[in-house]
Amino acid sequence: MIDFFMLIFRILIFPGFAFLLLLTLFCDWMERKIEARLQNRVGPMVAGPGGILQPLADFIKLLTKEDITPRAAKKTIFKFAPLVAFTIMVFALCFIPIDGASVLSANGFSGDLIIILAFATVANFLLFLAGWASCNPYGTIGSARVLTQFLGYDIPLFLIALTPAFIAGSLQIANIAAFQSTHLLPFILLAPWAFVLFIITMQAELEKDPFDVPHSESELVGGLETEFTGAKLAFLHLTRDVQVIFGSALVVELFLGGPYGPVFFGASWFWFTLWFVLKLLVVVAITEYITVVFARLRIDQVLSGNWRILLPAAILSLMLTVVLVTWVYPLVV
Amino acid sequence: MTDTKTWARVKSPWVLHFNSGACNGCDIEIVALLTPKYDVERFGVKLEPSPRHADVLLVTGCVTQQCAERLKAIYEQMPQPKFVVAIGACACSGGVFEGNYNVVGGVDKVIPVTAYIPGCPPRPEAILDGVVKLLNALNPPKPKKQPKQAKAPEVAKPEAAVAQAAQGIVEEEKQVAK
Repeated sequence: MIDFFMLIFRILIFPGFAFLLLLTLFCDWMERKIEARLQNRVGPMVAGPGGILQPLADFIKLLTKEDITPRAAKKTIFKFAPLVAFTIMVFALCFIPIDGASVLSANGFSGDLIIILAFATVANFLLFLAGWASCNPYGTIGSARVLTQFLGYDIPLFLIALTPAFIAGSLQIANIAAFQSTHLLPFILLAPWAFVLFIITMQAELEKDPFDVPHSESELVGGLETEFTGAKLAFLHLTRDVQVIFGSALVVELFLGGPYGPVFFGASWFWFTLWFVLKLLVVVAITEYITVVFARLRIDQVLSGNWRILLPAAILSLMLTVVLVTWVYPLVV
Repeated sequence: MTDTKTWARVKSPWVLHFNSGACNGCDIEIVALLTPKYDVERFGVKLEPSPRHADVLLVTGCVTQQCAERLKAIYEQMPQPKFVVAIGACACSGGVFEGNYNVVGGVDKVIPVTAYIPGCPPRPEAILDGVVKLLNALNPPKPKKQPKQAKAPEVAKPEAAVAQAAQGIVEEEKQVAK
């Protein structure tokens, strides 16, 4: 019985839904602050101390606004796609070890790396459906671009995610993270080329600059979000923010040693959560820096970049890893 | 609950900018608001591309005959609650174009306007002041602490107050015109 309540607590409060939601809103605030500071502005200041409640205010405001469904829209998909996409992204995060264990189980299961990448794919597809169902010209073009871009970077993303898995010899996220911690060697040092490639592919996955063609404001009004109002828009925004957390968490688990780090005193779950959040914030800061510094590419440039550069690079990275792990690392270690 | 709602609305006004035939003077002043010097993101103001996302419609220009229908369509696409701010002398009353054959003259002849910001063009500070005043009108003034017997004074509806103030400005301008 206690186990059951513990599970409910883990799913709903820590490290489940409530914790992830707070982390998401905090990261959203941090992103806006970093962006503002890099543009020589100050960013949100008035809502809460330092504007820290700004994402919460945006979220509540959107929830309480009128919810319009256009006459032309495909109603069922239009209404439910944003909510389902959000749910799937949060569910995918439940498989990532945060306080030393993931939300649902202590160590996960073999192959959960593949599962969560598949969840991210499905969530992206739902975002496409949401935009497509809105039957707005801008929304439709935005959705088509989401899908076109996503075909290009999804394969490299899987291939590059296999690099750490191959070094650790496991497809289980908890094992990959634990391998780095037991050998005291995060994979960012062992395979820096894969880290760089993964960050670049992540930018495309999260639709951030220089790959934000699907919702480029100057061309497509709001991209696939154009026709959404109220609660649906709130959940679309939240999905995007959760995707940022998801991508950064994946980088932390695969390349930065996951939540594991020195435990100084007291409970280990506290330190593990602390290390996880700190590493996550570093990754978010890096991606946001890239977003602000680079300008947007054209859709054809993104596509040819994906297929001509990123895909061969991902295959080469995997081949290099195989060679190194089989013949070179055994000599060194 | 209502307090939270009002707080969220006041702290996060997303604006949409509509040019109904302005000379681009007021528009430049609006864009200046987003630059590092004035940075309205401090107050949670974001310039949104789609009317579906916006809370406040910033209208500049004297509203030409051609634009009137479009302005109405844009206004009707916005979700409730929505506010309209007329920026510049032209948007308030038609300005120097008043009485021209192809001009409706004044945003309030097409859609209801919540706040008027006169000037040709108004300075960014003036626009910011207008938007902040509009949003603070949403916050009902807190009843002052009074002896227990006395009833708390009835709080006037914020929209009514703003509309009244707006009416006052219009009448003043009409008197000036006379």
